[in-house]
Amino acid sequence: MNRLVRAFGGPTGLIGGAIVVLVIAMALLAPAISPFDPDAVALDRQLTPPDLLHWFGTDQSGRDILSRVIWGARPSLEIGIGSVLVSILFGLPLGLVAGFNQGSWVEQVIMRTLDAVAAIPTLIWAIAVVGILGVGVSQLGPLAIGNQTKVTILLGLLYIPGLARIIYVATLVEAQADYVAARRLQGVPGWKILFSDVLPNTLSPVIVHATLQIAVGIILEAAISFVGLGVQPPAASWGNMLAASRNFVFSGEWWLSVFPGLFISITVIGFNLMGDGIRDVLDPRRKLTMAPA
Amino acid sequence: MLGFFLHRLGFSILAVLMISLILFVLTAAIPESPARIVLGADAPEVQVQQFEHEHGLDRPLLVRYGEWVDRLALHGDFGTSVVTGLGMNEQIAETLPVTLELVIVAFVFAVVLSIALGTASAVFENSWIDHASRIFTVIGVSVPGFWTALILILFFAIRIPIFPPGGITPVSEGLGPHIMSLVLPAFCLGIFYTAVLSRMTRSSLIEVLGQDYIRTARATGLPRSLVLRYALKNAMVPVVTVTSMSFGYMFGWALIIETVFNIAGMSGSLLNAISQRDYATVRAVVFVFTLIFLLANLAADLLNAWLNPRLRTVQA
Repeated sequence: MNRLVRAFGGPTGLIGGAIVVLVIAMALLAPAISPFDPDAVALDRQLTPPDLLHWFGTDQSGRDILSRVIWGARPSLEIGIGSVLVSILFGLPLGLVAGFNQGSWVEQVIMRTLDAVAAIPTLIWAIAVVGILGVGVSQLGPLAIGNQTKVTILLGLLYIPGLARIIYVATLVEAQADYVAARRLQGVPGWKILFSDVLPNTLSPVIVHATLQIAVGIILEAAISFVGLGVQPPAASWGNMLAASRNFVFSGEWWLSVFPGLFISITVIGFNLMGDGIRDVLDPRRKLTMAPA
Repeated sequence: MLGFFLHRLGFSILAVLMISLILFVLTAAIPESPARIVLGADAPEVQVQQFEHEHGLDRPLLVRYGEWVDRLALHGDFGTSVVTGLGMNEQIAETLPVTLELVIVAFVFAVVLSIALGTASAVFENSWIDHASRIFTVIGVSVPGFWTALILILFFAIRIPIFPPGGITPVSEGLGPHIMSLVLPAFCLGIFYTAVLSRMTRSSLIEVLGQDYIRTARATGLPRSLVLRYALKNAMVPVVTVTSMSFGYMFGWALIIETVFNIAGMSGSLLNAISQRDYATVRAVVFVFTLIFLLANLAADLLNAWLNPRLRTVQA
């Protein structure tokens, strides 16, 4: 147990890790653990408050809110994690190459372009671009791209500058290290040093950043779905459940808004605590990485 | 400092040009032609071509971009929407002040409260105040503001009707009601940044308080409050940058908060334009937001360089 606590950077990190594991398990096991079909309409059970049959109550179509919250974890996590993977796919090589070619035009071109992209406000652009592309399925040649994939890729692209800069800074430091000079003297080609020696040493801050960025992504997904441009109904997502609950706040049906928001909050707390914990373990010098979103 | 300023300004102008080009392509080349939106999907091709010709939509994209930049840069004019026939400047002039007021109130709230919380937390490190404020920061950065908004409306506008459940009461109906209608939206918008900034203030101040010169100052018998004032001044250097950037970020979240509270700000302009497929207005609104965001970042850089003279030479 003590070793487990230490691996997560302390008890709060462990709590965060446990929350993350539980939420991921809930999403994966949704078909087995959800008590009802999340999309099953029951017109005789509309807007019933929480009771023994429907623990979280039912919505305006009589759908079971607990089941929808369980299934709604899937798009939240898929977008949160997927967008970070997209940003790593592009941001990692860009940051590495820029950092390893310090002083050259390659570094200048990559970093100045990324600086310009970093000047794009994420949320507004995500909303506007999805609005322009439309929430339906877009055809890109032979590929049919659904709205959830669109949001994932879009957020991933907008994350690239932040991630690339972290790798860039880490690579700058590593490129000055004696072991890189030694490898060069051995006649090892630059790209090989970069990927087999430098890359592994830059991963710590990337892992920390990625974990915290997943938390940001989950909130962004909820916000984009909240204005109707994310996951489309009838499919359940935490954000679109909150959007649908808006009309019922005024008539006092609190359970429609309380439970989806509670799950977003707990999940995001989980990723934030876990990210902070991992940072304490992997990267103890950097205490101030949290940036506004 | 002047060299640094010009360097940053030059970069910002380049960034505006590059981003506005991307924005123009996204809003002018990708979606369907405004002619099809105005005339209907079944309109005959001849009619569509005539409409496009009349409105200059059949010219090359770069020419239209150049014209857009030219009109905007020289006259500050976004033009008239082909789809709605409304002037975009009027629309922005009507909704931007609403959003601006909300963001400024939320920003002041966040800055004042975060300095107080962060300082108390650092001075009384590991006391109950510190623990409580650290729990608050974790919750504050994790709970989405628009959910807090729904919950607060439920309790403090519906169950116990202290605040209006939505909209901003105009000042003409009295300053009191106007302020009351701003409380919940500004709180929900500002709380995330209160958490982020108080956390930064705390860790930065703890670091400064541990420095030798502070210990020396204390040893010479300077009053505690004076020492704290010196320490706080130095501790705020890294915080100021993020604070300034937060101002830009807040506009994005203001969109969502405005939606929850039915506030007739820029969010309405953007979301209406999206649902009416009025992409010229989408472009105008997104451009305004991006410009504010860029200016906030520029201010952050300049403040940082002003407070931290070493950076001027390193970066310039």
